[in-house]
Amino acid sequence: MPYGWVGQVLRIDLTAGRVTKEPLNMEWARQFIGGRGLGTKYLYEEIDPRCDPLGPDNKVIFATGPLTGTYAPTGGRYMVLCKSPLTDAIACSNSGGYWGPELKFAGYDMVILEGRAPQPVYIWVYNDQVEIRDASHVWGKTTDESEDILRAETDPQARIAGIGPAGENLCRVACVINDKSRAAGRSGVGAAMGAKNVKAIVVRGTGAVPIADPLGFSQVVFQALEVVNKSPTTAKALRGLGTASTVGFTNAVGILPTRNFQVGQFELANNVNGQTIAQTVLTRNKGCYSCPIGCARVTEIKGASKWQGKGEGPEYETIFGLGTDCGVGDLPAVLYANYLCNLLAMDTISAGGTIATAMELAERGYIPPEDLAELPFELRFGNPDAVIGCLELMAYRRGKFGNLLAEGGYRLAEHYGHPELFMGVKKQDFAAYDPRGAKGMGLGYATSNRGACHLRGYSMSQEWFAPPDKRSDPFSIEGKAALQKYVQDKAACEDSAGICTFSMFAVSHEQLCAMYNAATGERLSMDDWWLAGERIWNLERLFNLRAGLGRQDDTLPPRMLREPLTGGSVQGQVVELEPMLEEYYQVRGWDEEGHPRPETLARLGLA
Amino acid sequence: MKMILSHPEKCVACHLCEGACSFRHEGAFVPAKTRIWVFDFIEEQLYGAVTCFHCADAPCLANCPTYAISRHPETGQVYVNEDRCIGCKMCLVACPFGVMGYHAEKRVAQNCDLCGGDPQCVKVCVYGALEYADVEPLEWAVRLEQLERPAAAS
Repeated sequence: MPYGWVGQVLRIDLTAGRVTKEPLNMEWARQFIGGRGLGTKYLYEEIDPRCDPLGPDNKVIFATGPLTGTYAPTGGRYMVLCKSPLTDAIACSNSGGYWGPELKFAGYDMVILEGRAPQPVYIWVYNDQVEIRDASHVWGKTTDESEDILRAETDPQARIAGIGPAGENLCRVACVINDKSRAAGRSGVGAAMGAKNVKAIVVRGTGAVPIADPLGFSQVVFQALEVVNKSPTTAKALRGLGTASTVGFTNAVGILPTRNFQVGQFELANNVNGQTIAQTVLTRNKGCYSCPIGCARVTEIKGASKWQGKGEGPEYETIFGLGTDCGVGDLPAVLYANYLCNLLAMDTISAGGTIATAMELAERGYIPPEDLAELPFELRFGNPDAVIGCLELMAYRRGKFGNLLAEGGYRLAEHYGHPELFMGVKKQDFAAYDPRGAKGMGLGYATSNRGACHLRGYSMSQEWFAPPDKRSDPFSIEGKAALQKYVQDKAACEDSAGICTFSMFAVSHEQLCAMYNAATGERLSMDDWWLAGERIWNLERLFNLRAGLGRQDDTLPPRMLREPLTGGSVQGQVVELEPMLEEYYQVRGWDEEGHPRPETLARLGLA
Repeated sequence: MKMILSHPEKCVACHLCEGACSFRHEGAFVPAKTRIWVFDFIEEQLYGAVTCFHCADAPCLANCPTYAISRHPETGQVYVNEDRCIGCKMCLVACPFGVMGYHAEKRVAQNCDLCGGDPQCVKVCVYGALEYADVEPLEWAVRLEQLERPAAAS
């Protein structure tokens, strides 16, 4: 019997309407830890990376890790993997909430959706009973409405992960939302699910996640809980003010991307920072499953604003995407836009990045007046009506402009002949750290396997948040290649284990590996552990190479390479990418074109 | 006596207590067999944990047809004698708070046993939403009234 795992994969052939259950490939599970790594292995073996991401040959995998569902700190994560409709590279989006653990309690480590249902369906999983059910009555509904309806017709304790109108309309920045407000956000995984005609996976499970060494597991978990509860990052900043606690810092140093990355400081940042949220809209703190941090914010817009509503958020990245990047500093408007993204199921980073791109295109006069004439708002930075209006156009593909927005920022900018105004990598928008003020993040964005992303290689912790004696100079390019390799492999291990990367601001990888070993009964050494992280990174790279991506895609927009930042401590900085990239390929054991060398693949067991 | 008090205003609905409870009693993570429950009505902004209050006039005890439920003479806790329990669920029906559980495989009722004096749920709750406190058990009707007036609850 497997431990940590429940040992079963649920495979759903939507074309044939057939449900099968198969044992989890334990050999792969050992090589790739779980979640992100294991899902990537399944995807790599089962699909052609050159397939149409919105076609029936793509597969959408919902994967948990061996620690998902346990009380390992933040052990509640699941991931959605597929070929990305946004980037054409590998997609792996991570989410918390309660859905992932419920899937394991129902007896499955993973769900694989393949083919395409002839009409809208949802999947109802109640332990070993699995049904493909008609979803025509919830198709077109928001995540909020469809969750209520599906819960009412299944089980009051069911947990639900699904798409909103954006995913149904194949909007390339659509996400998967679970538990109404937790998002597997990035890379358009919602569109891939929509293309399969699957509205939601509804799960209720009453089974167990077994543990190989209960005593050993509880010992290391209690140690880890203690460090999470003592660390200023997890127990003070994140628990106290949520991820929004970052706004004040990045704005002060000048790397809070504002108005499509034209500047790194926002004059209205105080209106949307963690303190303001706590004082004006916060009703309660919340935590995902097994989370000892509790960074989620349950909020409600109060007072006289024209924007009203309640829900969860905003996260730091959302404040940037729907706020600062669009020049909007009106908290109720940002929050309303956040709620709207949750209802329509869109990634707040990429939706915001797309709108910011549109705003700059419009302000520079690159969008013909006739295209703008159809819009019921003025498309300019700082206009909250434009942000909220664009979100609706985008999710429903309304009109010519809505259709363009739904394609994401890169395709939008390319359509108007100015792809250089798209701020992202591999067609995916940057996150909320201007890489000119954190060079390692620049290299990380350029080389991230899922397109621009802060979580694939969060060197910010070393470049800005580390104590002075451990800090890597954010303006220097020295050592950034090795630093990125380290943080990238580290994130691959964390995601794959099924825990949230935030707990790893406090917990050590020695502890994480010990939790993994105690849960699964494996005996990985730290060398094995890091090697697994590197193996996962390289497998993702191999997927992308086979999908047709290469060195030419490991780059940054010209603004990052040539236009110096102004203001704050980062005055005059650009990203010197080329030398970092060259060194990075060497550190990775890749050739000049960014292909892993045969000896690297052999060392990683990927040959 | 010592029992577990819940402070719902500090709860974040992370369910760590359910995991810890089931792990302690089952050796695996199986929240379906927990003896402490987190209700999470996120939209209503209402969440917290509930477990056995060891009522002074415990209705579970009074309604058990096989006398399987007793009050411990030293600790004061209400507990189920598994050997006597026939799994009839009368106690589940009788409990005004819904905190008597049922173990589907063993076919016996189960309530919070305070982990023999080292409650895992309290240990794992870093938010201070659970407390192992020295308080006198209340009659169920008094407890119910307190819970309905959250400000007065302790």
